[in-house]
Amino acid sequence: MGLLSDPSISTQSKLVDGLARHVRLVCYALYVAGVAWFFCLALPEFNHGTYLSENALSPGLVYPEIRIDANRLAIQLLEELHRERKDHLSTTPHAWIAAKMNEFGLETHTHNYTLRYPFGGGKEYHGKNIYGILRAPRIASTEGIVFAAPYRAASSVHTDISASVPLLLAFADFARRKNYWAKDLIFLVTEQEQLGMQAWLEAYHDGDRDLDVSKAYLRPGNLPARAGSLQAALNIEVQDLEIDHVDVRIEGLNGKLPNLDMFNLVQRIMAREGIASGYKQAPRKKRRHSQSPFEQNLRQMLTMLASQSSGVPNGNHGLFHRYRIDALTIAANRRATHATLKGSPGSAAVPLLKAIEGIARSLNNLLERFHQSFFFYVIVNNDRYISIGDYMPALVALVACAFVKAYLTWSTLPVTNAEQETPAGLVREQEQEEELEPDSEPDKFELPYGSVLIYLTATLLIGFLCNVLPLQQYFLEIPMGAAPLTTSVLSFLSLIGFILPFVVVLPPGGLELLHVAFLLIYGCALIVIGLLNFALGFFAAVLTVPLVISLETKEENSRSTLRNSVRLATLVMNPMMVIYVIVLAMTFYQFPELSLQKIMLRAATAAMDASAYGLIDSVIYGNWLYFVICTIFLPLWIICWTLALSKRRDYADYLDFDESPSTSPQPKVKTN
Amino acid sequence: MFPEAFVLLLLVAFNAGSSLGKDNERFHEELVVRPLSGDHVNTYFQFTTRWHYGEKDNLYHTQLTPRVIAELLQQFAVKELHIGLTQGLWRYETWGYPIVEATSGAEMWAWFSGSNLTNGEVDRQWKELANVFSGVLCASLNFVDNTNSIAPRHLIRPQFMPANGQRFVRYSTLPREIVCTENLTPWKKLLPCGSASGFASLLNSGHVHNTKYHSLGLKVRVLCEDHDEENCIVELTQTANLVYDLRLFELSNNDFSLRRLFGMGLNGFCELADSSKIYVQRNEQGERFQLVPAPTQEVRSTRGGHSVVYSVYDMHEQFKDAGERLFNVAWLSPKSEGRRRNLAKPSLPPVTVHRYLLGHGQERGRIVTEVTNSHYDALPIMVQEVVPWYVHAYLHTLSIRRKPQRVNEYGRQRLPFKLLHYTPGKQRELPSHLEIGFMLPGQTSALITIDVDYLLLKWLEYPPDANHGHYIGAAIVSSQLPMGRNYTALPPEGHLFEHSFNATRPSYVLSLHTEALIVSLPTPDFSMPYNVICLACTVVALAFGPIHSVATKMIIVGRQASAPKNFVKKIFNKIFRRGKAGEEAPAEAEGAVLGAAAAAAPLGPSGFGSSRASRTTGGPSGDQPLLEDLDEEEEEQD
Repeated sequence: MGLLSDPSISTQSKLVDGLARHVRLVCYALYVAGVAWFFCLALPEFNHGTYLSENALSPGLVYPEIRIDANRLAIQLLEELHRERKDHLSTTPHAWIAAKMNEFGLETHTHNYTLRYPFGGGKEYHGKNIYGILRAPRIASTEGIVFAAPYRAASSVHTDISASVPLLLAFADFARRKNYWAKDLIFLVTEQEQLGMQAWLEAYHDGDRDLDVSKAYLRPGNLPARAGSLQAALNIEVQDLEIDHVDVRIEGLNGKLPNLDMFNLVQRIMAREGIASGYKQAPRKKRRHSQSPFEQNLRQMLTMLASQSSGVPNGNHGLFHRYRIDALTIAANRRATHATLKGSPGSAAVPLLKAIEGIARSLNNLLERFHQSFFFYVIVNNDRYISIGDYMPALVALVACAFVKAYLTWSTLPVTNAEQETPAGLVREQEQEEELEPDSEPDKFELPYGSVLIYLTATLLIGFLCNVLPLQQYFLEIPMGAAPLTTSVLSFLSLIGFILPFVVVLPPGGLELLHVAFLLIYGCALIVIGLLNFALGFFAAVLTVPLVISLETKEENSRSTLRNSVRLATLVMNPMMVIYVIVLAMTFYQFPELSLQKIMLRAATAAMDASAYGLIDSVIYGNWLYFVICTIFLPLWIICWTLALSKRRDYADYLDFDESPSTSPQPKVKTN
Repeated sequence: MFPEAFVLLLLVAFNAGSSLGKDNERFHEELVVRPLSGDHVNTYFQFTTRWHYGEKDNLYHTQLTPRVIAELLQQFAVKELHIGLTQGLWRYETWGYPIVEATSGAEMWAWFSGSNLTNGEVDRQWKELANVFSGVLCASLNFVDNTNSIAPRHLIRPQFMPANGQRFVRYSTLPREIVCTENLTPWKKLLPCGSASGFASLLNSGHVHNTKYHSLGLKVRVLCEDHDEENCIVELTQTANLVYDLRLFELSNNDFSLRRLFGMGLNGFCELADSSKIYVQRNEQGERFQLVPAPTQEVRSTRGGHSVVYSVYDMHEQFKDAGERLFNVAWLSPKSEGRRRNLAKPSLPPVTVHRYLLGHGQERGRIVTEVTNSHYDALPIMVQEVVPWYVHAYLHTLSIRRKPQRVNEYGRQRLPFKLLHYTPGKQRELPSHLEIGFMLPGQTSALITIDVDYLLLKWLEYPPDANHGHYIGAAIVSSQLPMGRNYTALPPEGHLFEHSFNATRPSYVLSLHTEALIVSLPTPDFSMPYNVICLACTVVALAFGPIHSVATKMIIVGRQASAPKNFVKKIFNKIFRRGKAGEEAPAEAEGAVLGAAAAAAPLGPSGFGSSRASRTTGGPSGDQPLLEDLDEEEEEQD
């Protein structure tokens, strides 16, 4: 007999009894407390001002040396690049970039990689990154810093950021002539958005891997040269040399963030150079809202969590975090109007170049890897943050609902009820009675652990299949796009989950036991997800905890409107439905001019695409979102749906249990 | 691996210089300037002192040879010693091969030979030797001990004539060592002229340390004729190998001069030197430069089918006249070149090496050494790796994979080992030592990988700046080249740079150093919580000590020995037997448990120590109070 079911420490306390009567009230109070705590974090009293923890960085200690000639070089390079772009509409001018790097005295190399796109019969794409290494005079190539600029071909659908490469090269030319570098500087130009960066990083860290040609999707190859252990990385996305403001992007893969020191460093140096810069910086005119600071802070927090929750990095920097390389993107936006030009256009990029130099020299000062300050935080304002110790209580309060409810449900389980009614000394007799006449009262059965376990396994199996099935060779060979294929597999499996409770009816007591198991798994899953990616865990908790609290498996009022509304809510909470609703909301927000029907249709295709992208992201980049939804949320939803339906066998049904073919066999499991 | 014929050559060279007499000690200074590709200039200084000292007793009277070297030979059975202090990494791909090899940080190896030497004795001498040179060169060589030294089996060959007796070799690197002015100054002091005159006056720390690569070397070897200990030569070679990057000068063109490189011209030659020459390479990258003043002499050296042209400036000639005060050589690039940089890519040397760490996370990784053979024919390759004890290497994961040079992905093709020597490491005691030999086909790269686990160290074993990472020293890759392209090293029997001219041999032994590595071992967060945990554990242990001692100690009732009658003895007893007296006190109190506890307490909160001391009753516990005072102080600080 386990600890919890030991009669001597059973739940015969008045406190538990009292609480058990008000489970919902307690849980809702916790829920409200958690959400309220989160809102409180936006108040200045609850968050902290940022500071630099790593003294070695000492931003702004050195006087920037980069001068207007570097800017002139950048302008000249940009003109040359624009000429090159006319010849390379959909490709990268590799030769030009490599030639420039060579000219500036960098050790230039190219990196080739291959992507085997798994869907639609399988196509192969080839990509090429160019990188030049500035071998630092003060070190024997044991440490390095990466300066990366993505290159977008002229035919790309994304915003033009062709000015990044000239800026990077101008800085490289400047840096090459300095002798104070104590870390090798790698200047990297990637193509094909994040794919190029992912391939380069994989090649850098796993270049010797001997990949099975038929199974691997991304074959990164090996790099011809390296620069030791990478300490930090800066990704530069500049739309134009004349910039309006700089948006500092930090969210990485699976919601990981760079060290807060790195963000602060960039903020301080940008401020020193007089560049309007910040986290989620918007153009100046838009910021003239008369919002209260509280509202602004809350908005900032929520946007950060929203972009973090998907786990998709919002820049090439995000892929570095997996290798414990702190990285962020400085995205400089083009100045919209030329009327407010302060300086001459010939010196427009000097502040940005100075800022890059300042960041580079601060990182160059680092003696150790970033390890101080925070890796888990939420940015409230450009100079205020919430640390993990402050925001976790919000999530813990939400998740505590599940555990409290699990405990109280357990303490009111039918069997324990039966034990409560009997004095402790008579337990044995009682059990003997039960064995003698097992059908006397449905409330007093041994808990069907076995069948509940089998049921749980079945739901988890469905989740597992979601992960595995779409990538089976058999399915991949179907000439069908990735989106319809993934969606049909997912819908099919969700449908199985939907039907499962109608087909399989658990024996008496099973639903209650399943309820407890569900609450425990749900709580553990949320807290783990919340630790890894707070945003995802928190949003999932806020969304689902009320539903989980109101779940009820009691037989009495199974037809009440409350129960029916819970059933409806559960139906809506299907992961597929949630994705659709989110996409629908986003579509509505982006294209408000369309008719509702069109929006619904468009959202449907977009949701299908989203699920396919999720799968591809998880396969190529290692994004967890698809895995989490399939392996954790979908099985949880199936259980939740089972509980919401609370299908029970009729008493008559139960009597001729042995003849009923559709039920799983009831194993005899002893509770003690 | 090494041609035995070289011993004969060595003897010839030896006999040429052996005329025991007054003139038995010679000093030479040489400077080689080689323009390299990518706007780099290599300057190589070599100062050679050769002393035919005859028998050992003559070592007491030193003249040009530094006294420390002579004492070295008296004290230790060392026959050959190499020390290198290097900052930066020699880039084989762009610079070719250096004249002397060195790895970044400090490197040291020595051969010992003598009668009745044992391994333990060699270990002791090796450690002492390292300590001596730690002081002589102001380097951290005192950290050389058994935990980072190995005895190479195949790769390092002796450059002296091995006597019939046994010979031992020890090798160690300290990759974390940072080389600075404090090493240069004592190194210069070993020269006969110091830094006052001669080529050494060019080595100003301000300019030497602004280079991309600088390496100070010290090589001592003892050559004895016919294994006769009575007729010996000691040869001390001091080298300084520098690579300047012309781009760092921010010049408008590529011109440079001795003054530009070293901050000053040459003020003459060392009067004690027998020869004092500057060699300037004129072909390859040096072709485009015009020299001012024009050289008087030109040497053409053909070695292994590869010709090099050197212009020679003899300082004895230059400063013949009394009027000459300063000498400067300028390299002028043609005017038409202007600002245009030298972009010509050099031809790749036949063998290049790289080393890197793969895998991510702080738990395990793979050490990878990549050797590329761009020669058309197969070459024998030997690799020596030293894996420090804090990294566990697994021999069964060792593999050599190959790929054609042009392909960028390694497949499953493997290369067989021809030779494998492995000494497993031992935690905190010995490093793992691995030597591999194999044939590398032409135009092929080989990837040698071995899987490693990173160890979680003890609290106090982390160095300051623990998150910087721990170093794994460079690997040495050795090969034998059939041709002399790019090869500039001195032949083993020669001792001057000019001995490498026209020194054609059947093969050229090449040894290359790879990059050193930094590993991030699992590092605890050394911030306040961690320290609090450590201190709290210590305090609990201290508090538990007396309780443990009371609980485990057997209490014996005994009578106090009769007190000494002499007053002086009494005081003596009081002072020196305090610990013992404290213990005997409960005996007086007829051994109540409480009494014992009270008595144990003053014995010191250093719990286990006190219980141990109490078990060995009557033992000298005179130092016990001192310990206890220290502990108390520590606690107060906490």
